[in-house]
Amino acid sequence: MDTAILAESLGKTYTRRKRADGFWAGLRAYFSFESETVAAVSDLSFRIERGESVGLIGENGAGKSTTVKMLTGILVPTHGRVETLGVVPARERRKLAQSMGVVFGQKPQILWDIPARESFRLLKVMYAVPDDVFRFTYHEAVERLELGDFLDTPVRLLSLGQRMRCDLAASLLHAPAVAFLDEPTIGLDVLVKERVREHLIEMRRRFGTTIVLTTHDLKDITATCERLLVLDRGRLLYDGSREGFEQRFAVGRTLVVALEHEADAPTRRALEAELSSEEVTFVWDTPHRLRVECARSASAPRVTASVLEHLRVADLSVQGAELDAIVTRLYRSGKAAAE
Amino acid sequence: MRALAAPTFRQSLAGFVVLAQKTAQTKLTYRLATLITLLSSGFAYCVFLLVWREVYRHDPHAGPLSREQMMAYLVMAFLVNSALIMNVETRFLQRVRMGLVTGDLLRPLSFVFFQMAQATGDVLVNALFAVPIYAAGLVFAGSALFPASLLAAVLGALSLVLAFFIAFSVSYLLVQASFVLQSGYGIFFARAALHQVFSGLTAPLVMFPQSLRRVAEWLPFRCEIETPVRLWLGHAELGDAPRLLAEQAAWGVGLFVTGELVFRAVMRHHQVQGG
Ligand SMILES: Nc1ncnc2c1ncn2[C@@H]1O[C@H](COP(=O)(O)OP(=O)(O)OP(=O)(O)O)[C@@H](O)[C@H]1O
Ligand SMILES: [Mg+2]
Repeated sequence: MDTAILAESLGKTYTRRKRADGFWAGLRAYFSFESETVAAVSDLSFRIERGESVGLIGENGAGKSTTVKMLTGILVPTHGRVETLGVVPARERRKLAQSMGVVFGQKPQILWDIPARESFRLLKVMYAVPDDVFRFTYHEAVERLELGDFLDTPVRLLSLGQRMRCDLAASLLHAPAVAFLDEPTIGLDVLVKERVREHLIEMRRRFGTTIVLTTHDLKDITATCERLLVLDRGRLLYDGSREGFEQRFAVGRTLVVALEHEADAPTRRALEAELSSEEVTFVWDTPHRLRVECARSASAPRVTASVLEHLRVADLSVQGAELDAIVTRLYRSGKAAAE
Repeated sequence: MRALAAPTFRQSLAGFVVLAQKTAQTKLTYRLATLITLLSSGFAYCVFLLVWREVYRHDPHAGPLSREQMMAYLVMAFLVNSALIMNVETRFLQRVRMGLVTGDLLRPLSFVFFQMAQATGDVLVNALFAVPIYAAGLVFAGSALFPASLLAAVLGALSLVLAFFIAFSVSYLLVQASFVLQSGYGIFFARAALHQVFSGLTAPLVMFPQSLRRVAEWLPFRCEIETPVRLWLGHAELGDAPRLLAEQAAWGVGLFVTGELVFRAVMRHHQVQGG
């Protein structure tokens, strides 16, 4: 397979002028050249093949955007080496631009004062998009992302979500070989997020687009990415399949059970005795509500079967297996470890 | 793997043209602002012209130029100046503030041509306003406003194109400086002040005291206004034309190349606003 993106011991250290509180301190700082450095990303190595779809996640400030900026050539790395589509991004920016689509959710790329339809036409010419490709990408975007109602409104008058959709559409119009999407679903409602995910899936199906997606909505990842890169304070914490991640970091699941009737003591004892061989803990929140905390080794199907057999269950759910819950726990434990 | 190909010249040119068009269109949506700016500076300029007319009424030999020549010069200087107003710096600063330059860096059109295309769009709209300015100027200067000859008109037009190139290159260089300083209104004001004084906008440089004239000769600003105006009106000897044009071209190329070199150096170091 062809390599789309290659990072070797990639690092970025920002230097910033020391700031000071107060007027006099500020004045002194103004005339001094003291600076401090922040290692935003360090020692990052990975390889992404053509056609892969990779989710890049991590807490606020973990270095995701910095990484994307280095991969796209906006920032020059302070350490290591990066190659995107076979070129050093910062050195051959124009060449790369032709085959790359980029969205920075925070920063609209599309022209501000003219309607999106005209920006799209501008991009068609600027990227020399072949007619048949453009016909497909344009219609796919307009239909899928439902842009029709506001295609002719100047972009500055659009709502955040409408503008984001135009921006995403604009970044993929030229069917780029690789797309970097830094929080493309920021500010979108649930239904539109769904549409965006479908759009990404469709573009990938049609053009084999390599996707690097940064997001804080892990449902985006579940829907569109098979592989995860997890950053933690600038370092690579995990690189591998999504399932692998879930297996490695899921500590267990919790069965939450709501009962129709209060369970009497003998029933409870019988249930606990039956599951004594499993690594589970019973927590009775109320006489009507039971939580069974299962360790990773515990068999969820077996626990569930016993619960259903012994108790009159009104409702039942399993928590903690979703990516969301795992990531939350991971971030929390990272914080705890740092403190 | 299919090797990446750089965009072709044709593609770049097409991109340039369409971006210039869209910029012009954008600017037209703000036509009221443009019109107000023009009317207010036009009014100030009319007063200025009236003062000069008064000076010449008292003393027909007030300066090295005749009254008609002086009026024609001032009208044309105003016209050239307003034709070359570009929003390179303000547009850029706004985008730096919002951290949007990243987008411009990720286009298949190189950064400098991206900026130049937008500047061209600005100038296209300015050209629309040049017509009424010229018509109004006829009231003050009469037939003295006509080009001295067909050749003078051609030379003046050519010189105007070079003037655009210089004005753009100065802006582009300053834009790089503002990249470094992160916020650069200061240098833009400084440039505007130097331009006001040394471009020949307020008076032909022959009327300047010797010392100031010497300073002006070492700066590019006079090539932006005085040179095209003098060529158009035939105030410059035809024999001088090649030298004047060459001088303009040299300034243009020099500033452009410097701007591009600084840009490359800046790109190696600059940091993008977080986000
Ligand atoms: N231009 C800059 N100068 C100095 N420090 C910066 C700059 N940009 C980012 N940083 C710092 O680098 C670190 C990583 O920032 P980055 O924007 O890459 O994080 P992120 O993972 O994208 O976070 P988020 O989820 O909030 O978008 C942060 O600590 C941030 O403060
Ligand atoms: Mg970010």
